[in-house]
Amino acid sequence: MTAILWALVALAGAGAWAVLALARGETVSAAWLVLAAVGTYLVGYRFYSRFLARRVFGLDDRRATPAERLANGRDFVPTGRWVLFGHHFAAIAGAGPLVGPVLAAQFGYLPGTIWIVFGVVLGGAVQDFVILFASTRRDGKSLGQMAREEIGPLTGYLAMAAVLAIMIILLAVLALIVVNALRDSPWGLFTILCTIPIALLMGFWMKVWRPGRTLEATAVGVALLLVSLVAGRWVSTSPALAAWFSWSPLTIAYAMIGYGFVASVLPVWMLLCPRDYLSTFVKIGTILLLAVAILVLLPPLRLPALTRFTDGTGPIFAGKLFPFAFITIACGAISGFHALVASGTTPKMLTRESDARLIGYGGMLMESFVAIMALCAAAVLEPGVYFAMNAPASALGTTLASAAEAVRGWGFTVTPADLQALAAQMGERTLVARTGGAPSLAVGMATIFGGAFGRGLSAIWYHFAIMFEALFILTTVDTGTRVGRFMLQDFAGHIWKPLGRTSWYPASIVASLLVVGGWGWFLVQGVLDPLGGINTLWPLFGISNQLLAAVALCVGTTVLVRAGKARYAWTTILPLVWLLLVTLTAGWQKIFAADPALGFLSRIRVTLAQVAAGTLDPATGSRIVFNYRLDAVVAALFMAVTVLVVAASAWEWVMIIRRRRPAVSRETPFVESAYAGQHA
Amino acid sequence: MPASMREALGRWARTLRRVAGMPDYAAYVAHLRRCHPERTVPDERAFYEEYVTARYGDGPTRCC
Repeated sequence: MTAILWALVALAGAGAWAVLALARGETVSAAWLVLAAVGTYLVGYRFYSRFLARRVFGLDDRRATPAERLANGRDFVPTGRWVLFGHHFAAIAGAGPLVGPVLAAQFGYLPGTIWIVFGVVLGGAVQDFVILFASTRRDGKSLGQMAREEIGPLTGYLAMAAVLAIMIILLAVLALIVVNALRDSPWGLFTILCTIPIALLMGFWMKVWRPGRTLEATAVGVALLLVSLVAGRWVSTSPALAAWFSWSPLTIAYAMIGYGFVASVLPVWMLLCPRDYLSTFVKIGTILLLAVAILVLLPPLRLPALTRFTDGTGPIFAGKLFPFAFITIACGAISGFHALVASGTTPKMLTRESDARLIGYGGMLMESFVAIMALCAAAVLEPGVYFAMNAPASALGTTLASAAEAVRGWGFTVTPADLQALAAQMGERTLVARTGGAPSLAVGMATIFGGAFGRGLSAIWYHFAIMFEALFILTTVDTGTRVGRFMLQDFAGHIWKPLGRTSWYPASIVASLLVVGGWGWFLVQGVLDPLGGINTLWPLFGISNQLLAAVALCVGTTVLVRAGKARYAWTTILPLVWLLLVTLTAGWQKIFAADPALGFLSRIRVTLAQVAAGTLDPATGSRIVFNYRLDAVVAALFMAVTVLVVAASAWEWVMIIRRRRPAVSRETPFVESAYAGQHA
Repeated sequence: MPASMREALGRWARTLRRVAGMPDYAAYVAHLRRCHPERTVPDERAFYEEYVTARYGDGPTRCC
């Protein structure tokens, strides 16, 4: 009976894939996309994750987890598996799975869908699962500690440095997305600015006035947030107030840099923690709402399955389908960053080892589904509108007419009147060249929400979507800056002890300034970049995130080899080889490609030629040249670290397999669980 | 409010708090009473501050 059921699931999934792959020229319903994805997830979860859990990892419910052995009522707490699933999902899913697929829709919806679904089943979910498993067997140790102990001290330090570098690029690109969404948008900016006093109010509520009443304060915060969302419309329609809240991109960038610094130095209870609570609930609520709306509406996909831009001439970002589709979509398919959460809070809360399958593997499938929904939201837009919103101003010109003309040149149609009407409908002055993916996702979400829950509220839905994205991006900026500061202080503490004291103000202020200065530098250069910034920074972020995934898979493979399970090591080596192929090709092309839109070095040559010909002033020219040199160095460093870590790990595997070194497992010794024998 | 309803609400609140990574003072007090009866129980404000400082001071809690 169950065999028949699973055959049906597999058939339905395969049938949906066939419809997607064979559809040419006609619009396809989002139903097929959702069906193909969910069918594949179910089969992957039922069969592949069970194989991993039982054969490869040998999850054992008789073995007590760290949450049970080290229970302290605070971070080590045995937690019900569905609650922990929610907790883990809220921690891993952020802006990444929403933005990447929207940008990669430049190639059409099919390449992104295939990569998101198969990448997660064979790669991303495996990575999250193996790291959660490894950390759970090691008292909840972090990825850096595991890299140091399993592979070697050098690898450990390289991994730590890589995490810090990735953090800097990640924060810069996320901040740039917010800048592009909020520039000259009084409504959006007003709503986001309101979150600061709301968070402060919540902070004092929870700490000073009514200690510990976190849910009460959050409910008040969410209500105030909705009020400020509606009040934003009123701000945007009053000429005096609208002028007050229309900021230039550079002003917003500097404001965010200042905010990041303050949030990193202030006590967490005041600003950072309440914003985190606010954004967690808004995020989970909105994602559930989006899932319901897509399933109710099953909108038709207007974007073609494949566009002509698979040849590398796309306006949103340069580069061919291979490798850039796989770099642009990192989160949702495979995201190295998850290894930090899977070796952070989650392993300390696992009640039973077998729960790791639902939480590690299943949680990542859920994030992948968020990426599929984001792809749907981008694909419901008219292709002309999608390209007019996501291409940079340098490609679209400065007027609606020039934008429509440029879009026509790419083979899609949109009229200046359409663009004007859409902007007015969404309560914005213009939507042209709002690069970064967030605004077009918001228009897609507004279209879907409007279709499912009644039209006429498009502007509210649009700004709700912008508020939702900006809110949790800013939470990542807050917490990321703080984590970066702690890591920097940890490094510095090895040189001079007091520098490592996180509560010592001089050290923490200097470290915060360095971290904020790092991502702030890339952010400001991204704002000033003539190609729009996203074109440079998003691929760098993708490469760095995949690099971290490669490090995580190396740790995972080493853990398996040490446990005497080398015959199953293909489960982690397979995605690792693919990631190496993708990141190294992409990194090489970003540095050396002859196309100046793609290769940093050719871009430098073009800029120098412009300065020599007198078409570019020397000061701007030398700034641009410096930036692209820096970008090239960063890409080269990422590649070098990847190669070093993989080489060191592979050496370790060979030595162990050839018995030159003992296969010593560093797992915590077995302790019998008190839950053994009880049913989950 | 009937006792059963209050209990159900409490369960929901506990679930929401866990999902968002909020502190659970009652659970902490229960843990202390059970495992370390000799220690003094901190008041809710002190526990809250200590909990959030530790939570946001140790590695990333949120992904991209």
